[in-house]
Amino acid sequence: MTANFTLFFVVVFLAATRIGWEWPYIAKLMPVYVAAVPGLLLALLQLYRDMTGWEKRRGGGDGGIEMDEVFTTGLDRGTQRRRTLIFFAWFIGGAMAVWLLGIVIALPLLALLYALVEGREKWPVSLLMAAATFLLIWGLFEYLLEMRWPSGALFG
Amino acid sequence: MEVSLFHAALQGLLNIVQLKVFLAMLVGVSIGTFTAVAPQGLGMPLVYAILLPVVIKWEPLTGIALLIGASAVSAICAAYLPVLFGIPGGSGSQATVVDGYPMGKRGEARRALGASFMAGGMGCVIGTLTLLVALPAARPLIYLMGSPELFVVMLWGLSMVAVLAGRRPIKGLIATAFGLLLAMVGQQAQSGIMRFVFDQPYLLDGIAVSIIALALFGIPSALDLALTRLGVEQQPAPLRGSLIDGAKDTLREWWLVVRCSFVGVWVGIVPGLGSQVVDWLAYGHAAQSCKGAKESFGKGDVRGVIAPESANDAKDGGDLITTLLLGFPQGVVTALFIVALLAWGFVPGPEMVKKNADLIYSIIWIQGIAGIIGTLVGFVLAKELARLAGLRYSFMVPILFIFILLGAFSVNRDPVDLLVVVCFGILGYFMKRFGYPRPAMILGLVLGDLMEKYLYRSMASYGFSWLTRPGVILLLVVTVVSFVFTLRGRLVRKTEAGSLSGGAIARAEDDR
Repeated sequence: MTANFTLFFVVVFLAATRIGWEWPYIAKLMPVYVAAVPGLLLALLQLYRDMTGWEKRRGGGDGGIEMDEVFTTGLDRGTQRRRTLIFFAWFIGGAMAVWLLGIVIALPLLALLYALVEGREKWPVSLLMAAATFLLIWGLFEYLLEMRWPSGALFG
Repeated sequence: MEVSLFHAALQGLLNIVQLKVFLAMLVGVSIGTFTAVAPQGLGMPLVYAILLPVVIKWEPLTGIALLIGASAVSAICAAYLPVLFGIPGGSGSQATVVDGYPMGKRGEARRALGASFMAGGMGCVIGTLTLLVALPAARPLIYLMGSPELFVVMLWGLSMVAVLAGRRPIKGLIATAFGLLLAMVGQQAQSGIMRFVFDQPYLLDGIAVSIIALALFGIPSALDLALTRLGVEQQPAPLRGSLIDGAKDTLREWWLVVRCSFVGVWVGIVPGLGSQVVDWLAYGHAAQSCKGAKESFGKGDVRGVIAPESANDAKDGGDLITTLLLGFPQGVVTALFIVALLAWGFVPGPEMVKKNADLIYSIIWIQGIAGIIGTLVGFVLAKELARLAGLRYSFMVPILFIFILLGAFSVNRDPVDLLVVVCFGILGYFMKRFGYPRPAMILGLVLGDLMEKYLYRSMASYGFSWLTRPGVILLLVVTVVSFVFTLRGRLVRKTEAGSLSGGAIARAEDDR
């Protein structure tokens, strides 16, 4: 799986090198020579390491410090996978709802449904969250800041 | 027109003595405090990404007051989660768990929090004072720097970010290169050539950094909350003990606070180091230098809370030194701050030192004042803030969803923004899962444009002879030496702190 993700970077850098190769020198200096070509070489090296299990043999890293945050949930793999898929389903569903219904309707609805269904909160609490979200979006942005949100695709 | 630094400092202070600026700072302090206390998920990068599209439409000083007010206090109240739940409250408070959580379970949560607030406040003031002194001290050097030198400084910083701070340097460099590549999307200012646009009008001006940062950090953070079901499946330690005892502990250990604060400032200045290491370095230093540390650290020694918290807060001052004086961000927060400054028309670095010294001093004043207010808020509202820390995931996850989607959609109000935020959210999840550092990508993304501009100016003004400038040669030597030195693993090793604290961590985990 790690190798598959590294392959994604190989493809991106390869495509960027191929696309940028025809550009004039001034335009391709940074994207091709500074970013894509070194990136491609490094991604190929990483791909080799992933495929041969180099990091695992060396104990998971190069002995330095984690730059990004490290957070272990302590959950078993099955639960973690199920909760991850459910989470992304909610998020992608929310984004689609914003597109289809417009932000003023979609986000309060998302808050209501998530609290009710996923969080198993009681109706009054869920409704309160939805109302607070509506007040934030409509009251603060539309009414006070006069920021007009576009209506959803379903409403033209 | 240049003004003397004294007048600039005075003007900087007068600038912030305006009601709306001061109010914006207070709102920033509130946001920063909430961010620090709220269940694991809201980090400063995410808050900056949410605020950025809104504040860049404001007057610069008001927006700056909000942003700096928020980031200045974010570390001061970051000990709630380590002390009450035994989980890191942010990247700079991981080491606080080791001694903070045993204190919490022992019924000394308030004492640990009091020590943390006081240490954080003192650290913030020391960091700010260092920043105050750095400006006049560094000004003559900064004036010698032109586009070629600034390009090499950024190259040095990026190489160090990718290599020094990562356990997986190759992945760090790949993430940086990917960020640089993303920065190149859109029409090139110098040649007018469309790069990676694919006939899509949406890509003409490139992809907004704030949308990428929102997705990259927001989605995985919200996912962590949804996975752990914080507040439902994990319950906090009771809030007992005395805040004043903790404050007294910190004042008694003032010399430890000073030492660890300078560790924090140093970490802030050195490119590539950041909040991921600052707490561990300070903790390691305390474990090495404090009397009886071997026996007591890891079992709830208040010095194990004071050391990382003071360093974590002082780091912000160090961060701002390189960000404001050299234009090189030390992390995602300062990278996004640079994006905001550029949007307001300020170019951080020598140009800003020459033309906007009063603004730099305003930032310094805000940083210091917000830190003091944040400390007071911590002491006065400790009980209320502790309740906030126990907020259930079923509240926090939809709040994050709302702010991520709202923040992304408010940039262009284009449905494609939603697609972009989903795609980069998924990318952020995989990057985190497979150990590709997201901060390296954001730094590459933010610095890409600036680096290209400096490189273009250097080539246009000097041809290849810019490489022979003494400053460039010196900086290139520093870059190569530090790169090689770091790759050999001699510069910074977590193992040093880890070996000292390793037993302590194991003990703390066993206690859970």
